[in-house]
Amino acid sequence: MDCYTANWNPLGDSAFYRKYELYSMDWDLKEELRDCLVAAAPYGGPIALLRNPWRKEKAASVRPVLDIYSASGMPLASLLEVLQNRVLDARIFHTEFGSGVAILTGAHRFTLSANVGDLKLRRMPEVPGLQSAPSCWTVLCQDRVAHILLAVGPDLYLLDHAACSAVTPPGLAPGVSSFLQMAVSFTYRHLALFTDTGYIWMGTASLKEKLCEFNCNIRAPPKQMVWCSRPRSKERAVVVAWERRLMVVGDAPESIQFVLDEDSYLVPELDGVRIFSRSTHEFLHEVPAASEEIFKIASMAPGALLLEAQKEYEKESQKADEYLREIQELGQLTQAVQQCIEAAGHEHQPDMQKSLLRAASFGKCFLDRFPPDSFVHMCQDLRVLNAVRDYHIGIPLTYSQYKQLTIQVLLDRLVLRRLYPLAIQICEYLRLPEVQGVSRILAHWACYKVQQKDVSDEDVARAINQKLGDTPGVSYSDIAARAYGCGRTELAIKLLEYEPRSGEQVPLLLKMKRSKLALSKAIESGDTDLVFTVLLHLKNELNRGDFFMTLRNQPMALSLYRQFCKHQELETLKDLYNQDDNHQELGSFHIRASYAAEERIEGRVAALQTAADAFYKAKNEFAAKATEDQMRLLRLQRRLEDELGGQFLDLSLHDTVTTLILGGHNKRAEQLARDFRIPDKRLWWLKLTALADLEDWEELEKFSKSKKSPIGYLPFVEICMKQHNKYEAKKYASRVGPEQKVKALLLVGDVAQAADVAIEHRNEAELSLVLSHCTGATDGATADKIQRARAQAQKK
Amino acid sequence: MAFPHRPDAPELPDFSMLKRLARDQLIYLLEQLPGKKDLFIEADLMSPLDRIANVSILKQHEVDKLYKVENKPALSSNEQLCFLVRPRIKNMRYIASLVNADKLAGRTRKYKVIFSPQKFYACEMVLEEEGIYGDVSCDEWAFSLLPLDVDLLSMELPEFFRDYFLEGDQRWINTVAQALHLLSTLYGPFPNCYGIGRCAKMAYELWRNLEEEEDGETKGRRPEIGHIFLLDRDVDFVTALCSQVVYEGLVDDTFRIKCGSVDFGPEVTSSDKSLKVLLNAEDKVFNEIRNEHFSNVFGFLSQKARNLQAQYDRRRGMDIKQMKNFVSQELKGLKQEHRLLSLHIGACESIMKKKTKQDFQELIKTEHALLEGFNIRESTSYIEEHIDRQVSPIESLRLMCLLSITENGLIPKDYRSLKTQYLQSYGPEHLLTFSNLRRAGLLTEQAPGDTLTAVESKVSKLVTDKAAGKITDAFSSLAKRSNFRAISKKLNLIPRVDGEYDLKVPRDMAYVFGGAYVPLSCRIIEQVLERRSWQGLDEVVRLLNCSDFAFTDMTKEDKASSESLRLILVVFLGGCTFSEISALRFLGREKVRCWRRSP
Repeated sequence: MDCYTANWNPLGDSAFYRKYELYSMDWDLKEELRDCLVAAAPYGGPIALLRNPWRKEKAASVRPVLDIYSASGMPLASLLEVLQNRVLDARIFHTEFGSGVAILTGAHRFTLSANVGDLKLRRMPEVPGLQSAPSCWTVLCQDRVAHILLAVGPDLYLLDHAACSAVTPPGLAPGVSSFLQMAVSFTYRHLALFTDTGYIWMGTASLKEKLCEFNCNIRAPPKQMVWCSRPRSKERAVVVAWERRLMVVGDAPESIQFVLDEDSYLVPELDGVRIFSRSTHEFLHEVPAASEEIFKIASMAPGALLLEAQKEYEKESQKADEYLREIQELGQLTQAVQQCIEAAGHEHQPDMQKSLLRAASFGKCFLDRFPPDSFVHMCQDLRVLNAVRDYHIGIPLTYSQYKQLTIQVLLDRLVLRRLYPLAIQICEYLRLPEVQGVSRILAHWACYKVQQKDVSDEDVARAINQKLGDTPGVSYSDIAARAYGCGRTELAIKLLEYEPRSGEQVPLLLKMKRSKLALSKAIESGDTDLVFTVLLHLKNELNRGDFFMTLRNQPMALSLYRQFCKHQELETLKDLYNQDDNHQELGSFHIRASYAAEERIEGRVAALQTAADAFYKAKNEFAAKATEDQMRLLRLQRRLEDELGGQFLDLSLHDTVTTLILGGHNKRAEQLARDFRIPDKRLWWLKLTALADLEDWEELEKFSKSKKSPIGYLPFVEICMKQHNKYEAKKYASRVGPEQKVKALLLVGDVAQAADVAIEHRNEAELSLVLSHCTGATDGATADKIQRARAQAQKK
Repeated sequence: MAFPHRPDAPELPDFSMLKRLARDQLIYLLEQLPGKKDLFIEADLMSPLDRIANVSILKQHEVDKLYKVENKPALSSNEQLCFLVRPRIKNMRYIASLVNADKLAGRTRKYKVIFSPQKFYACEMVLEEEGIYGDVSCDEWAFSLLPLDVDLLSMELPEFFRDYFLEGDQRWINTVAQALHLLSTLYGPFPNCYGIGRCAKMAYELWRNLEEEEDGETKGRRPEIGHIFLLDRDVDFVTALCSQVVYEGLVDDTFRIKCGSVDFGPEVTSSDKSLKVLLNAEDKVFNEIRNEHFSNVFGFLSQKARNLQAQYDRRRGMDIKQMKNFVSQELKGLKQEHRLLSLHIGACESIMKKKTKQDFQELIKTEHALLEGFNIRESTSYIEEHIDRQVSPIESLRLMCLLSITENGLIPKDYRSLKTQYLQSYGPEHLLTFSNLRRAGLLTEQAPGDTLTAVESKVSKLVTDKAAGKITDAFSSLAKRSNFRAISKKLNLIPRVDGEYDLKVPRDMAYVFGGAYVPLSCRIIEQVLERRSWQGLDEVVRLLNCSDFAFTDMTKEDKASSESLRLILVVFLGGCTFSEISALRFLGREKVRCWRRSP
């Protein structure tokens, strides 16, 4: 362990930088790196190589190939690249909105796109007097806006969407005639400039403040310069690379120097720099505080003591107790455990991780209440990290990068690299909710699976269903959509069969022109909106006849469409009924039309005639006859209006006759009653009511004597009383038949006589009815009489 | 009784949460259109809206003027118009005419349409056809449940019955499922579900799907409602057709209770003004008489009046201090009670006047005869006279339907003659009414010699012929025999009474119909809850034509916990009457929770 800090290089007084190997590269590169165009993605991302792009003698048929490798050099993909000659140079940058790209075109103009996913190119203003490519340039991101900083000779220009302005970094050493390199930090907060005098200026990206400077006295232009800093660290350093030399410079008079054995390429990361060459891949970073505390030579930090204590404990030495006591006496055990846990996160070697975690676990035993979360989570995270750092996967994420990237993005990456089993294992290990974890990955897997054209539809569908089953959160319709996208319609339909929510199946079925199937699925789903969507699809897709035929087999869809037509397309509704030979509904349709649509009497009669014909066809003679009667009545009402004036149209038959009587047209009324065969009972009620309303008592009496009343005479009494004519009422009361006599007499208020009749009838119900009408002193005698009669009846 | 009144009655869930939820959602939607705006409200949304958010709340969220959606050009001069409407096509055309008029006049405004309780694709289609889809923004106000009282929720969907039971349009079923889903997310899952009817089953299944999609949300929550019972209105049309004789039912029949409140006219208020009165449990007087048979109400009210007088009288003989106490603490309450008392007395008088004038006793007698199935001829002539005298078009139809359903359809002669008489009295346009009633199965003709099996074979033939379009009609009218008489016997709906039925101390649910009839719907609910399943009711279910649509679903949680949940939610799909609510209240007192949808 003594040599553990052997690869630590101090920079200034306070910081150490260390470089360790991540991988020895697996790629069998024939070319030197210098012969390739190289790019690498951050967060341990893959490396892209474009071979020999500069070879002039390339034949037109040989197009350069772009190879992509994992960070450990495993080939991932290769694609044919089309060279865009007009682009001189490009820079990728990352903002909150995603990855952007800035391009320097052959005409020395800059073009910018804030998001490569949504390629909206934006031309930046021209730089005045720019005749050749700038000596160096970069993209600065401030307040979510991307600017371009470029160097032309001794001048620096800042280019934004509107203008181009000259800028000067504060405190820049004199004598600069050209800038050879510039570097912006990972977080876009800092900027470093390398001048032709071998001088490095480091400051804020806003160019408002200088942090430090360094003179390396190397005038050769560096191949690369990148920032190397750690989040939340005060140290600022840049790494400068020449052909065979690597230099770490910061706010210190001395720099750290490394020799490079072969061509190397630097990849800036959130918390350090990755350096890869043909044979190795290394990581250079500032030693994190927790590690420094623990491992610094002769450190007395609590973490360091705890680590020692645990080692002694394993050796079964009593020194373990001494160390522990020392920490406990200072009350720093909690801190010690935390330090060990944190330091473990920053270690690349599993062995070292383990010994730190063991120390933490050992220390925990002596603490009463140490929350277990941080320890557990660190163990889990390290396990995941070690898994993805594995040579075969080749994602050398550090703990800080991993936390920044989040597990979701890491999973996405694994999924995109089709490392499904690993991704699922991670999900299961971390116990992620199925919808976010396993299901999502399985769905991705399935989407990939459907693209395997050499496997038959049945096999793919079965394989997918076997794996996915009823996993919650898996959308079979999404997978089916992917299958359809690959031109495998049959497979898509098979997959849709597994979709439990029929509503989800519909949109895709429509897209695949399986409208009828879509219709039945929509109906199954119970979602009427969905049914309606399909209906309108069908309506446009099929000819009218076929469309109607389809509807006929789907009552639910039919009634839905009918409802729509009723309000919006009346003619279609008629056609629908016609198609079905539904004459009953057709008749109703025309009746409605005669009231709603037609205004002229001729039009209304014509509509009614059509309705009547339809009713005959429907064998509904009753409705047909009633409709014909209505036609007659309408014509007649029209004539009455012409001849007598007044309002007759649209009255019912009953009301028409009433109106005639009220208007004194008794003859006409009788005629109408005969013509329309109004039953006697109705006519009597009608006349009785009308004459009483007119208070034509004379006519009423005449009418009552015209023949024997079919409704009896009690109604006469009632109606006279309603008009408060007791005198007339009494006339009729005498003519009321015996059964209703008591009622009639009570109505006219003749309680005494009512009592007599009731006694005569010996009817108990009538007696109590009369008794209930006996009020006050006036009827006292009557009441007594009834009581007596009752008593008598009981005696018998 | 099966469910005696228990002193440990379960506490009712806090339904006001639904109101708050709806209000917050509406405010959010209004804020989506920042700045001053005029609000156009559909007429039948006004009362429900009023229960959720009053004018001052609307004003707070920059609603300037309020208009009713009606077929008139809008006079609004505001730059932003917001429409709060039901998803109806005629509304879309109204909005389109407004927008297009603006366009013609070269005017640009912002338009927002808020659909309640949800938007339909058909509506958007119409907007598109009218060429204004791009000009308006559409939103949904998922306001599907209005708490009308502490134990009563309403969906306020008047067209539910017509759309589903007449037109066979199933679009509202989804809304019902959403509402159930809302309830289960707010008040925990329902451990036990029962239902009867095609619509009930569909709504239930849709709702289950919704729950499954959002698995886990309600899991582990303590259920507040122990049982839920879904019932299609067409399982029991009879009860809805009977004249109501409990107080709340009578108030509804006489004055129409809309959205939990009633308009009492001058004849009730004994002033020259009409008064809108909220009828719910907060009205102490009303709360005590709402479920009472009408014959008890007057006695109760006069007793109450005497008590009130006595309380007023106490102030005589008080010293100054006591008097001060009385004025500051009791007088206000007494005055309030006094006001309510006089209102309800006024309502009673008004009801009495109307009901005696039209021979209410005769009407009730006829109804009872129809329910019991005797003197059919006499009842038929009574109905005929009723029609001839033009007593009331609705009442006549009601009686005809009652006759039809209790008798499995009218005999052809009566069917013709009653219809003829009706057309003569009220106009031939009612030909359409009859066609609709027939389709809904409310007023049908006995097919001569058609036994049930004959009809069934006819229908099944239609099915094989695949003339499915006709089947919908055939199903609703032919296949559905009501079998009321047989059901009545099986379920003992007509109580045998020895002597007078004591309406003051009712012994069963029949009291809501004067002791003559136990409401079928409530009897079914009672029987199923008693058995915890449909077991032993197979014959009844078959007679109700619901063999495929009766279901039970019990979660297998430990019995004890669900046993303690005695709260029951009854969902009437297609509306219910106040008599049924009273009967259910009787059934469980505080135990049964009743929920009706669409009036």
